[in-house]
Amino acid sequence: MAEETNLQTTNGRKVGIGAYIALFVAILFFSGIFMKVDGMKWISAFDFTSLSGTFGTMKDPAKNTFIGAGGVSAKAGFLFALSLVPTVMLALGCLEIFSHYGAIRAAHKLLTPFLKPLLGLPGLTGLALITDLQSTDAGAALTKNLYDDKQITKKELVVMSAWQYSGAGMINNYFAIGSALFAVLTAPVIIPLLLMFVLKFVGAMFVRFVLNTVYKEDFRDEQ
Amino acid sequence: MSNDTKTTTPSNPFDIFVIGARKGFNVAINNLMPNVLMAYVIAEILQLIGAMEFIGRLFGPLMGFFGLPGEAATVLLTAWLSSSAGTGIAVSLLNKGILNGTHAAILIPAIFLIGSQLQYMGRLLGVADVPKKYWPLLMLASIINACIAMIVMRFIA
Repeated sequence: MAEETNLQTTNGRKVGIGAYIALFVAILFFSGIFMKVDGMKWISAFDFTSLSGTFGTMKDPAKNTFIGAGGVSAKAGFLFALSLVPTVMLALGCLEIFSHYGAIRAAHKLLTPFLKPLLGLPGLTGLALITDLQSTDAGAALTKNLYDDKQITKKELVVMSAWQYSGAGMINNYFAIGSALFAVLTAPVIIPLLLMFVLKFVGAMFVRFVLNTVYKEDFRDEQ
Repeated sequence: MSNDTKTTTPSNPFDIFVIGARKGFNVAINNLMPNVLMAYVIAEILQLIGAMEFIGRLFGPLMGFFGLPGEAATVLLTAWLSSSAGTGIAVSLLNKGILNGTHAAILIPAIFLIGSQLQYMGRLLGVADVPKKYWPLLMLASIINACIAMIVMRFIA
């Protein structure tokens, strides 16, 4: 009885009907009864063993890596993700070196002349924008600082954020995550990266245009 | 993606590389692997319950405009939630033979241009304190960017 009372209020939360449904579903999920139901293959989507999947096999040892071929679901996903670790470590290791030797500062300098004519932003915003290419969080923090220090207006803040929001953390994300697709791309790896960089301007220019027209009234005091 | 701010950076390039490689390892283990695993499982569930085929038919005409099969819509929808998961779905569809290298090239800039917008609402728009009124506009700009990217890549890839 004491144990039952304890169960009823586990972690100080009442055990309601939802909890019993969750338990029931969990039992069904792990039980294996949905694994193979004749004529209802789709029901195996609710079975733990089916979803843990299978590793690939060495169908063609000359071509297959340790991932094998024909694996599915969690097991295949795990091995595939594991195969990406060296690429990601190499990419971020090299990026760290380039940044250390001033690649970011150089990029800032190159970007500054384009800010005013294209986005109507002062040159001092360049660093926050370039930082966003590497780290979304750091870029956002720098942008907020500029506004708090009254170095940029609300409209400039929105335009800057538009530039950052589409393709945020672009360089890091592209090399860390996108590298999963590099091997199969039918275009040079640099092309999508350059395209994204250009489109960041396109998106921000679009937002600037809308702010200057549709939301013109909002920024009247800032003109 | 969270990058630790540097405190004391060594000047030896080998040590600097190791710092970056360590960040890469953390990204791979903490972000990439769980997300890719989840994406593979979601792709499998969608495949098993037949949703993949349904999404393929539903988005077929729209995706066809970008030179992609309809199933590619699952990549874009997932990428909106998380770039890693979107990439994972793309890889899983490549392995199943639904996508090929050209499709991947068309999709890759779009994945990152609309990537992780849900997360970045908090991490970027929230942190920078952009008034909520303009959030949909910024999202629309990202979607437009992704569409332009796919059209351009269609001719390059």
